[in-house]
Amino acid sequence: MSKNTTPPEGYDVQREQMLDFKVPEQLVRVLDEDGRSDAKNFILTTVDEVFNWARLSSIWPVTFGLACCAIEMMATSATRYDIDRFGAGAFRATPRQADLMIVSGTVTAKMAARLKLIYDQMPEPKWVIAMGSCAIGGGPYFKYGYHVVKGVDFLVPVDVYVPGCPPRPEVLLEGLMRLQDKIRGRKGPFVTPKWITDYAKKIPYRK
Amino acid sequence: MDQKEIYQLLAEKLGDAALGFNDEGVEAYADVTPEIIAEACEFLRVDERLQFNQLMCLSGIDWDGLDENGKGKSVKILGYTDEGQPETSDYVAEGDFGVVYSLYSHSQRHKFTLRVRTPRDKASVPTVSKVWSTAAWHEREAWDLLGIRFEGHSDLRRILLEEHWVGHPLRKDYQMPDNWDGVPLNGQPYCENPFPTPVITPDETPDKPAGDDPAEG
Repeated sequence: MSKNTTPPEGYDVQREQMLDFKVPEQLVRVLDEDGRSDAKNFILTTVDEVFNWARLSSIWPVTFGLACCAIEMMATSATRYDIDRFGAGAFRATPRQADLMIVSGTVTAKMAARLKLIYDQMPEPKWVIAMGSCAIGGGPYFKYGYHVVKGVDFLVPVDVYVPGCPPRPEVLLEGLMRLQDKIRGRKGPFVTPKWITDYAKKIPYRK
Repeated sequence: MDQKEIYQLLAEKLGDAALGFNDEGVEAYADVTPEIIAEACEFLRVDERLQFNQLMCLSGIDWDGLDENGKGKSVKILGYTDEGQPETSDYVAEGDFGVVYSLYSHSQRHKFTLRVRTPRDKASVPTVSKVWSTAAWHEREAWDLLGIRFEGHSDLRRILLEEHWVGHPLRKDYQMPDNWDGVPLNGQPYCENPFPTPVITPDETPDKPAGDDPAEG
């Protein structure tokens, strides 16, 4: 190539690449008035905020696709509507390593005991998204479904309901973002409220 | 082979037990008595001209919703109300049960349908799982959902519902359960029904004869 591609003297490629991004002015000032790199290296926050930020940025779901909503959940985790950019792309196969259970699909009476078992195996802190109309309230099987639990909130405490049949991937991401807002607004150490443990004790479960 | 010829071969073999052949509907089918069904299926599979090596489907029928001409009338299936509670009624179904066998032959490329009818209180049909082993699961489904017993079946238990479920849901007089083993199966309404069933009152105005000005209504 005939063009001269060597950078001029004093040009630090790595620093330029690090600073080459667009940030709204009112949030962060990286360069001060002289154009030097940021001399303000302090952030003031609380421990709650840091923990909540850590939790919401890496919510790992457990693979709990039951029915057609599972296809939309797979589409959400595929490349176009990437769920991994929210940190939630690492779907764990075991509930022991997961914090989120996205109940996507119809919950039958046969599945109900197993769902409760998976939910109990998840360690605290844990959240549940009820995705799709079957998980919210029985869905199209409300009237004639003799084997359908009309809503997963008869079995586990739900944090976010994502409506749709099935909900589009953008809607599921919106639900995930609402869950992130919910986590961001938490205060204090994570203690399961007493009414949830009392309610959970009353739900039956196959031994 | 033609459906009629297949039925003739079957009728020669079975004699009196082949009850009739009907090819007016979409599919032609043959009625047989339930006692002879295992031998009939064995013959259909083994005979060189027929060679029905695949049982495509085995379905159960609940004939409760037929009027005297044999046409279907609509039976109100009980479901859950808008408030989520199961509907109840005293209706007792009375029709017969039936089993339909859809057969296909890969080598001869023809298909056939057999139909069997049993009374409701003694719904018992010999199994064809010795002839085609896929029938084992189809018969388990018919037992699970309709309650048709299959004699000679090696493992007749529920396949879709849980093992100790009570009742056979696809019967016409099945009432929806309220809960099962503690798991609640009734619903709870979250809002008013946005699509309520409209109450249709018959229109009492006399009809106008045709030829009037349509703008007058």
